[in-house]
Amino acid sequence: MAQNPDELRKLGQRLDEAQQRRAVRPQGPPPTQLGIAGRFSTELVAALVVGGGLGWGIDWLFGHFGIHTRPVFMIVCVVLGAAAGIRNVMRAAAEINAQLSPGADEEK
Amino acid sequence: MAMHPMEQFEVAPAMGMEHPLFHLFGYPIYFTNQSLLMVIVVAAASLFLSLAVKPGRLVPNKTQSLAEVSYEFVANMIHSATGEEGLKFFPFVFTLFVFVLCCNFFGMVPGSFTVTSQIAVTFSLACLVILIVIGTGFAKHGIGFFKLFVPHAPWYLLILLIPIEVISFLTRPISLSVRLFANMLAGHTMLAVFAGFVILLGGAGGALSALSILPMALIVAIMLLELLVAFLQAYVFAILTCIYLNEALHLHDQH
Repeated sequence: MAQNPDELRKLGQRLDEAQQRRAVRPQGPPPTQLGIAGRFSTELVAALVVGGGLGWGIDWLFGHFGIHTRPVFMIVCVVLGAAAGIRNVMRAAAEINAQLSPGADEEK
Repeated sequence: MAMHPMEQFEVAPAMGMEHPLFHLFGYPIYFTNQSLLMVIVVAAASLFLSLAVKPGRLVPNKTQSLAEVSYEFVANMIHSATGEEGLKFFPFVFTLFVFVLCCNFFGMVPGSFTVTSQIAVTFSLACLVILIVIGTGFAKHGIGFFKLFVPHAPWYLLILLIPIEVISFLTRPISLSVRLFANMLAGHTMLAVFAGFVILLGGAGGALSALSILPMALIVAIMLLELLVAFLQAYVFAILTCIYLNEALHLHDQH
């Protein structure tokens, strides 16, 4: 009880700081322009490749059982892959936004 | 005369290890320059981290502070991305971060080999990450982990959205590995190309030889940039691991 109020206030301040450090969103280095560009392009291309590969695999599997669907699933899956790529880019953009402005996330 | 810029990425048996170690399914398995560098990286990192920290020391010296700062850095990263629960994965994420970071930095030593510029290495690491994420998801939520692929939408849209989410999830190991691999490959190729300019200009004789200082200065600048990229890519690899782990732990409820 005989504590110096200044000291207590300082302690409180330090506690607040420590708590804030725990609550803060990913800090770290801010992404560079080149980094952002690289991130978006890999997300887009990778989704297309995965979609195409998946469709090709499904076609191959059906062909194995004697059902000829050859280009159908590949076309469908490439289109779905393009959509997935755009979804990925949107998600990546949301992440980067949250990183750049720690206060203003939560809009999804 | 001038070296080919891609020559540095060639995987070959390490010096003195020209004989295959053993045969797997009829294929010879060599101890390559890549394996050698990985062994060096793991040995150096574990030696440094275990020698730097002495439990009895109250005031840390410089090496110990470095080890402690890296610990704090990774712990903060995991905590901010996944919350309290993610700290279980600290050993995994810390190992991954230190391994990728040291591989990138050892690759910056002239004449050495950049392990992370091989898609085989980065893709294996990314697959390990995704398998752990999937394992965590199933361990925590059981069959409910599949809810990760079901966004909030009316049912007629789900027919379209679920395949999109599945493809989007399958993209992760590829984008994770390609990003690290492409960054390291591009940086080191650029360095080698400019190094080739130095050799060509220097060998041209006369006034042209004096010009070789220009690409040399550029190499120094790119080298500094590459050091930044080496750290940044290790960081990105680790933080994305945390983000994926977070999704597996908390599905949709926290975003």
